[in-house]
Amino acid sequence: MPTRTMAAAMRDALDEEMARDETVYVAGEDVGEHGGTGGETAGLLEKYGEERVRDTPILEIGIAGHALGAAVAGLRPVVELWFAEAAATAGDELVNQISKQPYVSGGRLRAPLTIVAPSGGGVSGGAAHSQSVHAWTGHLSGIVVVTATTPYDAKGLLKSAIRDDNPVLFLPHKKLFDREGDVPDEEYTLPLGEATVERDGGDVTVVATQVMYHRAVEAADELAGEADVEIVNPRTFAPIDTDTIVASVEKTGRLVVVDETPLRYGTQGHVVSEVAERRFERLVAPPRTVGVPDTPIPYSPVLEAEAIPSTDRIVDEIRQVMAHSSV
Amino acid sequence: MSERAEGPTTVESERAIQLLREMVRLRAFDEAVAERFEAGEIPGNPHLCFGHEGSHAAIGAAIRDEDWWVVGGARQDTQFVARGLTTNEVMAEIYGKATGSNGGRGGPMHVSNVDENFYGHAATIGSPQNPAAGIALAQQMLDTGNVVVCTVGDGGTSRGSFHTALVLAATWDLPVVYVVENNQWAISVSRDVLPPEQLSDYGKPVGLHTETVDGTDPLAAYDAIRDAVERARDGGGASVVECELYRMAPHSGRDDERYRDPAEKRRASTEGDPVSNLKRALLESGRLDQADVEAMVDEATAEVESAVEFARESDWPDPEDLYEHVFVEPLYGQGGN
Repeated sequence: MPTRTMAAAMRDALDEEMARDETVYVAGEDVGEHGGTGGETAGLLEKYGEERVRDTPILEIGIAGHALGAAVAGLRPVVELWFAEAAATAGDELVNQISKQPYVSGGRLRAPLTIVAPSGGGVSGGAAHSQSVHAWTGHLSGIVVVTATTPYDAKGLLKSAIRDDNPVLFLPHKKLFDREGDVPDEEYTLPLGEATVERDGGDVTVVATQVMYHRAVEAADELAGEADVEIVNPRTFAPIDTDTIVASVEKTGRLVVVDETPLRYGTQGHVVSEVAERRFERLVAPPRTVGVPDTPIPYSPVLEAEAIPSTDRIVDEIRQVMAHSSV
Repeated sequence: MSERAEGPTTVESERAIQLLREMVRLRAFDEAVAERFEAGEIPGNPHLCFGHEGSHAAIGAAIRDEDWWVVGGARQDTQFVARGLTTNEVMAEIYGKATGSNGGRGGPMHVSNVDENFYGHAATIGSPQNPAAGIALAQQMLDTGNVVVCTVGDGGTSRGSFHTALVLAATWDLPVVYVVENNQWAISVSRDVLPPEQLSDYGKPVGLHTETVDGTDPLAAYDAIRDAVERARDGGGASVVECELYRMAPHSGRDDERYRDPAEKRRASTEGDPVSNLKRALLESGRLDQADVEAMVDEATAEVESAVEFARESDWPDPEDLYEHVFVEPLYGQGGN
């Protein structure tokens, strides 16, 4: 299978969807000649022109807000925010408008728009350019929140996000833009609202996405012979597919949830509570949660590494649940 | 800006009578809302539009059915009626009933009907200006020839979202008209605290067309809005039109108005009542007599009473409806779809 970087896979997704549907257009800061945050819109301006590839001034309120109107009136905007934290600079648009207007209209109004916003840390981006937002945006009923973990995911999920009739917040991890992976030549899409079992295993379920997924794979490799690790990638965080996670725990009886979002009121606790409420009796060990502590994410690589869960940390957590026997 | 495309609309025109009939209807609608709220029948906290009828009727008359209307500001419900939504569906929505325009999910702050190209309101003040720009972009890209009118109050003009939208409208040369309904009060804060001499001046730094008119004169408001709409339709770009008027009602049902002088309110509400102003002009000119006006009022009252009756008798939503319309389901690809 051919390999692509995540940025190239996203670019292919945009290209294919723009060719397929004339109502799809891209707008945002630097999506034109600059080619987007990480190269994901490279070449689209030359191919589709200024009408459908629109550089904007620095106005996140306008980028997100206009997309809502354009979507209601018959277009399918794909708009970019430089970083996921810009979800807060366009906060009213996300919290009170994009997520709410279709619902309060009683379903009469639809907003098929996609907001692409690179998230996550590990790049010494500092406290305002390193956050992952899929926990708090997941609280906003009415927006589909999707993360991208591999080039394969990024292409298939972005295509589905564009075709979906709901507003979708699409969050690739900025550290993964240049990472290569297998992407088939033939056209495909991946389902929204469904988790996927990325790696089969019988001893412990690790739930992880984006960079944490890749670290979970490293941890699983390191523990080969010691623990047979199953890895579930939620892909969509709102609405989250807990059925797939519960089914995995049904098999393994042990659960570690790793996510690059804050632990407090977080995705990790939500997943654990869903599993506990539905299959507490199946658990053979207390579940473990791993996430960002109650601190901003700092600049210095040494401090940042303390904030963001490492492979070693995931190995330790898996060992903790493995210390409990099912017998 | 005083030079009119079609010359000024006068009391001699059919338009003047049409505007008065509509304003009388809007006034009757909100009088019923006020009365039914006092009687405890309407939940929430209504924001009455007394004083805004001239501007609302003027927008309704100045745009075509295919044009879009986006609601901003706090004076909302007579905008819904002026757009042409039925008084039944608007009143039922205000009552929170299943037969309301949005099945009771929206209420008076969120009435919308995209079938009528009526976007509605997000209800955070000054917020729908950017969606309005996006709707205008869609008209431009889809080459519909339609225009978007978006209202905002004097209070909303201080929001960054308002100014961002003006930048976007100018950057993309969008067919949109922002109508600032300056009713002098942002709840308790006077318009006098705002820096510009005229609130339409906010459009000047980005090069938009700007005009300020006396919004208590519905004919002047109509002319200004119509000209801006037709200019936008002809590719002449976006405008900011300020209608200076007066909020004759409290901000909401829970406002004791301690911040404004009652004598001043009485004076401004008398001089600035757009319904009385146009009625008097039509009576004085002899275009209408007292019996004509009474017939208009009777017709409007009967329509509104019927809407109240419809809303009262309508069913409440099923509590299970809470879960409908959060998402269009299934999501793309979900469950093999």
